Amino acid sequence: MNSTIDFKDNDDLAFFGKVNASISHELKNILAIISEAAGLLQDLTDMAAKGQKIELEMLTTCSQDIVEEIQRGFATIKQMNTFSHSIDEPVKKVNLADVVDLMIALSKFLSFACTVRFDPLPEEPAVVSTCAFRLQNLIYRALVFAYESTGPDGQIGVAIHPQPNGGAQITFSGCGSNKAGKFASDKTKKIAASIGVDIREARDLQGFELIVPENAEAVSQH
Amino acid sequence: MKVLLVDDEKKFATMLAKRLALRGIDIDYVYTGDDAIAKAGTQSYDAAVLDVKMPGIGGIELERKLKELDPCLKIIFLTGHGSKTDFETGSAEAACYLAKPIQIDELIKILREVIG
Repeated sequence: MNSTIDFKDNDDLAFFGKVNASISHELKNILAIISEAAGLLQDLTDMAAKGQKIELEMLTTCSQDIVEEIQRGFATIKQMNTFSHSIDEPVKKVNLADVVDLMIALSKFLSFACTVRFDPLPEEPAVVSTCAFRLQNLIYRALVFAYESTGPDGQIGVAIHPQPNGGAQITFSGCGSNKAGKFASDKTKKIAASIGVDIREARDLQGFELIVPENAEAVSQH
Repeated sequence: MKVLLVDDEKKFATMLAKRLALRGIDIDYVYTGDDAIAKAGTQSYDAAVLDVKMPGIGGIELERKLKELDPCLKIIFLTGHGSKTDFETGSAEAACYLAKPIQIDELIKILREVIG
Protein backbone atom coordinates (compact mmCIF):
# COMPACT_ATOMS: atom_id res chain seq x y z
CA MET A 1 0.00 0.00 0.00
CA ASN A 2 1.23 3.46 -0.88
CA SER A 3 1.37 5.27 2.45
CA THR A 4 1.74 8.65 0.73
CA ILE A 5 -1.86 8.73 -0.55
CA ASP A 6 -3.70 11.59 1.11
CA PHE A 7 -7.40 10.97 0.73
CA LYS A 8 -8.18 14.45 2.08
CA ASP A 9 -6.98 15.84 -1.27
CA ASN A 10 -9.92 14.14 -2.93
CA ASP A 11 -12.74 16.66 -2.48
CA ASP A 12 -15.48 14.14 -3.21
CA LEU A 13 -14.18 11.60 -0.72
CA ALA A 14 -13.47 14.28 1.87
CA PHE A 15 -17.06 15.52 1.62
CA PHE A 16 -18.46 12.01 1.87
CA GLY A 17 -16.34 11.35 4.96
CA LYS A 18 -17.16 14.66 6.59
CA VAL A 19 -20.90 14.21 6.24
CA ASN A 20 -20.80 10.62 7.45
CA ALA A 21 -18.71 11.59 10.48
CA SER A 22 -21.28 14.26 11.26
CA ILE A 23 -24.14 11.74 10.92
CA SER A 24 -22.35 9.26 13.19
CA HIS A 25 -21.99 12.01 15.79
CA GLU A 26 -25.73 12.69 15.59
CA LEU A 27 -26.54 8.98 15.92
CA LYS A 28 -24.28 8.71 18.96
CA ASN A 29 -26.13 11.60 20.57
CA ILE A 30 -29.44 9.87 19.89
CA LEU A 31 -28.19 6.58 21.33
CA ALA A 32 -26.79 8.43 24.34
CA ILE A 33 -30.25 9.83 25.10
CA ILE A 34 -31.89 6.42 24.65
CA SER A 35 -29.21 4.90 26.87
CA GLU A 36 -29.83 7.47 29.63
CA ALA A 37 -33.61 7.04 29.33
CA ALA A 38 -33.28 3.26 29.60
CA GLY A 39 -30.91 3.70 32.54
CA LEU A 40 -33.34 6.02 34.28
CA LEU A 41 -36.19 3.55 33.70
CA GLN A 42 -34.01 0.86 35.29
CA ASP A 43 -33.25 3.15 38.24
CA LEU A 44 -36.97 3.82 38.74
CA THR A 45 -37.77 0.11 38.46
CA ASP A 46 -35.14 -0.69 41.10
CA MET A 47 -36.58 1.99 43.38
CA ALA A 48 -40.10 0.63 42.95
CA ALA A 49 -38.87 -2.91 43.68
CA LYS A 50 -37.47 -1.63 46.98
CA GLY A 51 -40.81 -0.07 47.83
CA GLN A 52 -39.61 3.48 47.26
CA LYS A 53 -42.05 6.02 45.87
CA ILE A 54 -41.46 7.00 42.26
CA GLU A 55 -43.00 9.71 40.12
CA LEU A 56 -45.18 8.22 37.39
CA GLU A 57 -44.57 11.32 35.29
CA MET A 58 -40.90 10.39 35.09
CA LEU A 59 -41.81 7.00 33.64
CA THR A 60 -44.00 8.66 31.02
CA THR A 61 -41.31 11.19 30.12
CA CYS A 62 -38.68 8.44 29.74
CA SER A 63 -40.93 6.37 27.48
CA GLN A 64 -41.83 9.39 25.35
CA ASP A 65 -38.18 10.39 25.06
CA ILE A 66 -37.24 6.92 23.88
CA VAL A 67 -39.99 6.92 21.23
CA GLU A 68 -39.03 10.43 20.05
CA GLU A 69 -35.34 9.61 19.84
CA ILE A 70 -36.02 6.40 17.91
CA GLN A 71 -38.03 8.48 15.40
CA ARG A 72 -35.15 10.98 15.26
CA GLY A 73 -32.79 8.07 14.63
CA PHE A 74 -34.94 6.69 11.82
CA ALA A 75 -35.12 10.13 10.20
CA THR A 76 -31.33 10.49 10.44
CA ILE A 77 -30.74 7.04 8.95
CA LYS A 78 -33.14 7.84 6.10
CA GLN A 79 -31.14 11.01 5.39
CA MET A 80 -27.89 9.03 5.54
CA ASN A 81 -29.32 6.47 3.13
CA THR A 82 -30.44 9.13 0.63
CA PHE A 83 -27.06 10.83 0.85
CA SER A 84 -25.13 7.58 0.41
CA HIS A 85 -27.16 6.60 -2.67
CA SER A 86 -26.49 9.98 -4.29
CA ILE A 87 -23.22 8.55 -5.63
CA ASP A 88 -24.98 5.68 -7.45
CA GLU A 89 -25.28 7.54 -10.75
CA PRO A 90 -22.80 10.14 -12.00
CA VAL A 91 -25.60 12.22 -13.54
CA LYS A 92 -29.30 12.01 -12.80
CA LYS A 93 -32.46 14.10 -12.59
CA VAL A 94 -32.96 15.63 -9.16
CA ASN A 95 -35.55 17.87 -7.58
CA LEU A 96 -33.55 20.82 -6.25
CA ALA A 97 -35.92 21.28 -3.31
CA ASP A 98 -35.15 17.73 -2.16
CA VAL A 99 -31.40 18.28 -2.49
CA VAL A 100 -31.48 21.59 -0.60
CA ASP A 101 -33.75 20.12 2.08
CA LEU A 102 -31.38 17.17 2.62
CA MET A 103 -28.30 19.39 2.82
CA ILE A 104 -30.01 21.70 5.32
CA ALA A 105 -30.90 18.66 7.46
CA LEU A 106 -27.38 17.21 7.31
CA SER A 107 -25.60 20.51 7.87
CA LYS A 108 -27.77 21.23 10.92
CA PHE A 109 -25.75 18.59 12.77
CA LEU A 110 -22.84 21.03 12.79
CA SER A 111 -22.49 22.72 16.17
CA PHE A 112 -22.16 26.17 14.58
CA ALA A 113 -25.25 25.84 12.37
CA CYS A 114 -27.73 28.70 12.61
CA THR A 115 -31.47 28.81 11.89
CA VAL A 116 -32.31 28.28 8.22
CA ARG A 117 -35.48 29.68 6.73
CA PHE A 118 -36.20 27.60 3.65
CA ASP A 119 -38.76 29.65 1.73
CA PRO A 120 -41.89 27.98 0.40
CA LEU A 121 -41.10 25.81 -2.54
CA PRO A 122 -42.01 26.86 -6.07
CA GLU A 123 -45.29 25.44 -7.37
CA GLU A 124 -43.47 23.77 -10.23
CA PRO A 125 -40.62 21.59 -8.93
CA ALA A 126 -37.22 22.70 -10.18
CA VAL A 127 -35.79 19.53 -11.69
CA VAL A 128 -32.29 19.49 -13.12
CA SER A 129 -30.03 16.86 -14.59
CA THR A 130 -26.73 16.99 -12.78
CA CYS A 131 -24.17 15.18 -10.65
CA ALA A 132 -26.25 15.04 -7.47
CA PHE A 133 -23.27 14.33 -5.26
CA ARG A 134 -21.25 17.35 -6.44
CA LEU A 135 -24.32 19.59 -6.22
CA GLN A 136 -24.81 18.41 -2.62
CA ASN A 137 -21.16 19.21 -1.90
CA LEU A 138 -21.59 22.71 -3.31
CA ILE A 139 -24.82 23.42 -1.39
CA TYR A 140 -23.30 22.04 1.83
CA ARG A 141 -20.29 24.33 1.39
CA ALA A 142 -22.64 27.26 0.76
CA LEU A 143 -24.56 26.51 3.96
CA VAL A 144 -21.36 26.12 6.00
CA PHE A 145 -20.12 29.47 4.66
CA ALA A 146 -23.44 31.08 5.61
CA TYR A 147 -23.38 29.54 9.11
CA GLU A 148 -19.84 30.76 9.68
CA SER A 149 -20.87 34.22 8.48
CA THR A 150 -23.83 34.60 10.82
CA GLY A 151 -22.86 32.52 13.86
CA PRO A 152 -25.13 30.02 15.65
CA ASP A 153 -27.59 32.70 16.84
CA GLY A 154 -28.19 34.08 13.35
CA GLN A 155 -30.64 33.20 10.63
CA ILE A 156 -30.14 32.73 6.91
CA GLY A 157 -32.64 32.33 4.10
CA VAL A 158 -32.54 29.80 1.29
CA ALA A 159 -34.87 29.92 -1.70
CA ILE A 160 -35.21 28.25 -5.09
CA HIS A 161 -36.32 30.21 -8.15
CA PRO A 162 -36.88 28.25 -11.36
CA GLN A 163 -35.48 30.08 -14.40
CA PRO A 164 -37.61 30.75 -17.51
CA ASN A 165 -35.07 29.03 -19.76
CA GLY A 166 -34.75 25.96 -17.54
CA GLY A 167 -32.52 25.36 -14.56
CA ALA A 168 -32.89 27.28 -11.33
CA GLN A 169 -31.35 29.83 -9.06
CA ILE A 170 -30.69 28.95 -5.40
CA THR A 171 -30.29 32.05 -3.26
CA PHE A 172 -28.60 32.22 0.14
CA SER A 173 -29.49 35.43 1.97
CA GLY A 174 -28.71 37.09 5.28
CA CYS A 175 -25.00 36.29 5.40
CA GLY A 176 -24.05 39.82 6.41
CA SER A 177 -23.03 42.70 4.16
CA ASN A 178 -19.28 42.20 4.57
CA LYS A 179 -19.46 38.48 3.76
CA ALA A 180 -21.82 38.45 0.78
CA GLY A 181 -19.13 38.55 -1.90
CA LYS A 182 -16.64 36.26 -0.18
CA PHE A 183 -18.19 32.96 -1.25
CA ALA A 184 -16.44 30.91 -2.60
CA SER A 185 -12.94 29.42 -2.26
CA ASP A 186 -11.04 28.25 -5.33
CA LYS A 187 -11.82 24.64 -4.39
CA THR A 188 -15.55 25.42 -4.20
CA LYS A 189 -15.44 27.28 -7.52
CA LYS A 190 -13.82 24.23 -9.08
CA ILE A 191 -16.62 21.98 -7.80
CA ALA A 192 -19.22 24.44 -9.13
CA ALA A 193 -17.51 24.61 -12.52
CA SER A 194 -17.45 20.82 -12.78
CA ILE A 195 -21.28 20.79 -12.84
CA GLY A 196 -21.75 24.01 -14.74
CA VAL A 197 -22.98 26.02 -11.75
CA ASP A 198 -22.35 29.76 -11.77
CA ILE A 199 -21.80 31.51 -8.43
CA ARG A 200 -22.96 35.13 -8.24
CA GLU A 201 -22.96 37.70 -5.50
CA ALA A 202 -26.39 38.93 -4.38
CA ARG A 203 -25.44 42.09 -2.53
CA ASP A 204 -29.04 43.26 -2.06
CA LEU A 205 -29.80 40.01 -0.23
CA GLN A 206 -26.51 40.07 1.67
CA GLY A 207 -25.76 36.72 0.15
CA PHE A 208 -25.10 34.89 -3.06
CA GLU A 209 -26.76 32.76 -5.73
CA LEU A 210 -26.03 29.46 -7.34
CA ILE A 211 -27.23 29.35 -10.93
CA VAL A 212 -27.87 25.68 -11.63
CA PRO A 213 -28.24 24.68 -15.30
CA GLU A 214 -31.07 22.43 -16.42
CA ASN A 215 -28.52 20.02 -17.82
CA ALA A 216 -25.05 20.05 -16.35
CA GLU A 217 -22.44 19.82 -19.03
CA ALA A 218 -19.95 16.98 -18.92
CA VAL A 219 -19.00 16.27 -15.34
CA SER A 220 -15.26 16.60 -15.36
CA GLN A 221 -12.74 15.18 -12.98
CA HIS A 222 -10.99 17.80 -10.90
CA MET B 1 -19.19 16.25 45.62
CA LYS B 2 -20.69 19.16 43.66
CA VAL B 3 -20.72 18.79 39.88
CA LEU B 4 -21.76 21.00 36.98
CA LEU B 5 -23.01 19.21 33.85
CA VAL B 6 -23.11 21.12 30.54
CA ASP B 7 -24.61 19.59 27.39
CA ASP B 8 -26.75 21.13 24.65
CA GLU B 9 -28.64 17.84 24.22
CA LYS B 10 -31.31 18.80 26.74
CA LYS B 11 -32.86 15.38 27.22
CA PHE B 12 -29.44 13.80 27.72
CA ALA B 13 -28.37 16.40 30.27
CA THR B 14 -31.67 16.22 32.17
CA MET B 15 -31.71 12.43 32.45
CA LEU B 16 -28.03 12.05 33.25
CA ALA B 17 -28.39 14.69 35.97
CA LYS B 18 -31.39 12.85 37.46
CA ARG B 19 -29.47 9.57 37.48
CA LEU B 20 -26.44 11.18 39.11
CA ALA B 21 -28.68 12.84 41.70
CA LEU B 22 -30.25 9.43 42.50
CA ARG B 23 -26.70 8.23 43.24
CA GLY B 24 -26.06 11.02 45.72
CA ILE B 25 -24.18 13.45 43.47
CA ASP B 26 -25.00 17.12 44.10
CA ILE B 27 -25.49 18.18 40.49
CA ASP B 28 -26.47 21.29 38.56
CA TYR B 29 -27.04 21.13 34.82
CA VAL B 30 -27.26 23.70 32.05
CA TYR B 31 -27.48 23.54 28.27
CA THR B 32 -25.09 26.27 27.13
CA GLY B 33 -21.60 27.53 27.81
CA ASP B 34 -22.93 30.97 28.71
CA ASP B 35 -25.24 29.51 31.37
CA ALA B 36 -22.37 27.39 32.70
CA ILE B 37 -20.18 30.48 33.15
CA ALA B 38 -23.05 32.25 34.91
CA LYS B 39 -23.54 29.26 37.26
CA ALA B 40 -19.83 28.91 37.98
CA GLY B 41 -19.69 32.61 38.73
CA THR B 42 -22.11 32.23 41.61
CA GLN B 43 -21.34 28.74 42.90
CA SER B 44 -18.31 26.61 43.53
CA TYR B 45 -18.00 23.17 41.95
CA ASP B 46 -15.59 20.29 42.45
CA ALA B 47 -15.87 19.17 38.83
CA ALA B 48 -17.50 20.10 35.54
CA VAL B 49 -18.65 17.56 32.96
CA LEU B 50 -18.66 19.26 29.55
CA ASP B 51 -19.87 18.24 26.12
CA VAL B 52 -17.11 18.99 23.60
CA LYS B 53 -19.29 20.17 20.70
CA MET B 54 -21.92 22.73 21.59
CA PRO B 55 -23.33 25.74 19.73
CA GLY B 56 -21.77 29.01 20.83
CA ILE B 57 -19.09 28.34 23.40
CA GLY B 58 -17.80 24.81 22.82
CA GLY B 59 -16.42 22.55 25.52
CA ILE B 60 -12.75 23.32 24.95
CA GLU B 61 -13.27 27.09 25.15
CA LEU B 62 -15.61 26.65 28.10
CA GLU B 63 -12.93 24.71 29.99
CA ARG B 64 -10.59 27.70 29.66
CA LYS B 65 -13.24 30.15 30.87
CA LEU B 66 -14.26 27.97 33.83
CA LYS B 67 -10.63 27.49 34.80
CA GLU B 68 -10.22 31.27 34.88
CA LEU B 69 -13.00 31.37 37.45
CA ASP B 70 -11.67 28.41 39.41
CA PRO B 71 -8.22 27.02 38.54
CA CYS B 72 -8.83 24.00 40.83
CA LEU B 73 -11.95 22.88 38.95
CA LYS B 74 -11.62 19.37 37.51
CA ILE B 75 -12.85 18.91 33.95
CA ILE B 76 -14.28 15.80 32.31
CA PHE B 77 -15.25 15.93 28.65
CA LEU B 78 -18.10 14.06 27.01
CA THR B 79 -17.96 13.57 23.27
CA GLY B 80 -20.22 12.15 20.61
CA HIS B 81 -17.11 11.35 18.62
CA GLY B 82 -15.08 8.36 19.50
CA SER B 83 -11.88 8.29 17.54
CA LYS B 84 -8.45 8.69 19.09
CA THR B 85 -7.88 11.72 16.86
CA ASP B 86 -10.85 13.55 18.34
CA PHE B 87 -9.48 13.02 21.82
CA GLU B 88 -5.98 14.13 20.86
CA THR B 89 -7.16 17.41 19.38
CA GLY B 90 -8.83 18.40 22.63
CA SER B 91 -7.54 19.89 25.83
CA ALA B 92 -4.35 18.55 27.35
CA GLU B 93 -5.48 19.66 30.80
CA ALA B 94 -8.78 17.76 30.92
CA ALA B 95 -8.86 14.98 33.49
CA CYS B 96 -10.65 12.60 31.16
CA TYR B 97 -12.62 12.13 27.98
CA LEU B 98 -15.67 9.88 27.91
CA ALA B 99 -17.35 8.82 24.67
CA LYS B 100 -21.14 8.82 24.49
CA PRO B 101 -23.14 6.77 25.27
CA ILE B 102 -21.52 6.72 28.69
CA GLN B 103 -21.65 4.21 31.52
CA ILE B 104 -22.87 6.07 34.60
CA ASP B 105 -20.82 3.94 37.00
CA GLU B 106 -17.69 4.75 35.01
CA LEU B 107 -18.47 8.48 35.13
CA ILE B 108 -18.98 8.37 38.90
CA LYS B 109 -15.76 6.38 39.37
CA ILE B 110 -13.83 8.97 37.37
CA LEU B 111 -15.46 11.84 39.25
CA ARG B 112 -14.38 10.28 42.55
CA GLU B 113 -10.86 9.69 41.23
CA VAL B 114 -10.30 13.23 39.93
CA ILE B 115 -11.88 14.96 42.91
CA GLY B 116 -10.08 12.71 45.33
